[in-house]
Amino acid sequence: MKTYQIKKDQHQEIILKKPGKYLIELVGEGSSVDIKGAFQSSKSEQMTLEVIIHHRAPHTVANTLLKGVARDNSYLRLKGKILIDEDCGDTQSFLTERILILSENAKAEAVPDLEIKTDDVKCSHAASVSNIPKKHLFYLQTRGIEIKKAEEMIVEGFLTI
Amino acid sequence: MARFAKKTTKPGDEFINDSYEHGYSFDNKDYSFQSDKGLSEDIVRQISSMKNEPKWMLEQRLIGFKEFQQKKNPSWGADLSELKFDDLSYYLKPTDNQAKSWDDVPPEVKETFDRIGVPEAEREYLAGVKAQYDSEVVYGSLKQTWEKDGVVFLSMDEGLEKYPDLVKEHFGKVIAHGDNKYSALNTAVWSGGSFVYVPPGVDVKMPLQTYFRINSEAFGQFERTLIIVDEGASVHYVEGCTAPQFSSTSLHSAVVEIVIKKGATCQYTTVQNWYKNIYNLVTKRAYVYEEGKMVWTDFNMGSKVTMKYPGFVLAGKGARGEVLSMALAGAGQHQDTGAKAVHLAPDTSSTIISKSISKDGGRASYRGLVHISPEAINSKNTVVCDALLLDDKSQSDTYPVDKVFNNQVEVQHEATVSKIGDDQLFYLMSRGISEENARKMIVNGFIADLVKKLPLEYAVEMNRLIDFEMEGSIG
Repeated sequence: MKTYQIKKDQHQEIILKKPGKYLIELVGEGSSVDIKGAFQSSKSEQMTLEVIIHHRAPHTVANTLLKGVARDNSYLRLKGKILIDEDCGDTQSFLTERILILSENAKAEAVPDLEIKTDDVKCSHAASVSNIPKKHLFYLQTRGIEIKKAEEMIVEGFLTI
Repeated sequence: MARFAKKTTKPGDEFINDSYEHGYSFDNKDYSFQSDKGLSEDIVRQISSMKNEPKWMLEQRLIGFKEFQQKKNPSWGADLSELKFDDLSYYLKPTDNQAKSWDDVPPEVKETFDRIGVPEAEREYLAGVKAQYDSEVVYGSLKQTWEKDGVVFLSMDEGLEKYPDLVKEHFGKVIAHGDNKYSALNTAVWSGGSFVYVPPGVDVKMPLQTYFRINSEAFGQFERTLIIVDEGASVHYVEGCTAPQFSSTSLHSAVVEIVIKKGATCQYTTVQNWYKNIYNLVTKRAYVYEEGKMVWTDFNMGSKVTMKYPGFVLAGKGARGEVLSMALAGAGQHQDTGAKAVHLAPDTSSTIISKSISKDGGRASYRGLVHISPEAINSKNTVVCDALLLDDKSQSDTYPVDKVFNNQVEVQHEATVSKIGDDQLFYLMSRGISEENARKMIVNGFIADLVKKLPLEYAVEMNRLIDFEMEGSIG
């Protein structure tokens, strides 16, 4: 497990490149963090990304965005957890997980957890799992782009973080 | 602006909330039967022989008992370590027979249900009523119109006696005995509950209601309900729960199985207002065939610990499911509620909306599973969980799991946690509304879209209960 600690009044941007387990702790007052990660699984890969965002001090802000594309026979898991301790007022934390499943045999799991022990917070999470909407492909096809190419373009855009 | 200053409440301040209005109890020495404390195979056999059950049911009970002994408490969820199985009584029979009229019901029992308002509700707007007092259903009625259409509304014990084949066909099929420790326990010692059968095409326009009342101390209530809605029929079933104020804990562990045939609809509403000494560990699931629809409306306000995840298995093409869940966790309470949606067929859709309110150190958790199998193409699922925290000692959790095994789906999940905004309060107070009323308005607005799904009488009652719970909540 890889651990990051964000100290008082610091701001950090963390780009997650490899799957695995990460713990991000906001230990100092006024610290903030942006966490981003884009993942692709293919063939028969089993890929798991686990991120814990732990708010241990008041006045902290975290924005987390995780994206994934599952192809072929792969299994992609995105797990995110926001923990907010007691007496951590004025905290904001947002977690977004988006997964595209591109093949019939690919599987995906999205687990966005929240554990909140103080009331002065703004906290939300959102998760979605879907295929590329037909409308989007159709739009590009009407512009003379082949369906394979259109799919690639949409995935590329989707994974840009 | 002192009134907007940070407020703190000490946990445990009002652990025994004296404003609970159903806290009275009556002596149980006149009961026709009371089992000894603790659970053994002999007690399971005794319950079965007293009920004159067929042999297959005794076998089911014994399998359940074995599973119960082997299974451990779940490793997740609420703390159940204080629950002592040996301190409970498992079977308390208040009367010998179920009464057909209120005049035949013993006076204490009648008074209890009078105070809850059952006879009045029955006259006014219900199609049928069952009243369960400790282990047995003591009163039952069904309006003639529905009886004529072939609707069956019996206690589960009567159902087993009069429709053994139907019960045998479905008993334990939606929820296996070994589904979890408490479904196994229920299978071993079940007593009471409802048996409902709605024939094809019959639309029961008024709700059927069962009232569950725990009267005795240190007791376990294990009702077993089976609802079968035949093709194209529809029914709305409501249950309400209350218990007296005792310091010792009791256990309520129900199993509810619902079978929804092609094109049928069932709505199951729970208004759970147990006293804060009850462990409420309930397993509820519906099996939905083609084009069928299941709606769970689940309101949890009472009990010490609730672990309940109403679920549906969408097994037929185009089946739909909906869970509307509301939980209010006050001092000393942990409401661990949620939903389980299993999609097994194409074109199925489900919606889960959960709203929770935590106050005075209470803890409300949403725990949900959405499972979409490889066969369930073109399926849709939406989950929305909103939580409101009313002070800084309370806790709110969200534990959703989305498992998707095919690529023609739309699965969405959204959750937010917030408090009552100072700007919202300020807006209302600048209109001359007192702070307490403003808070009540905001909380009632927060749950409004769920309350709207209830029949009017319940919606009014629900708003009143919320107001009642919110009373004096500003420190």
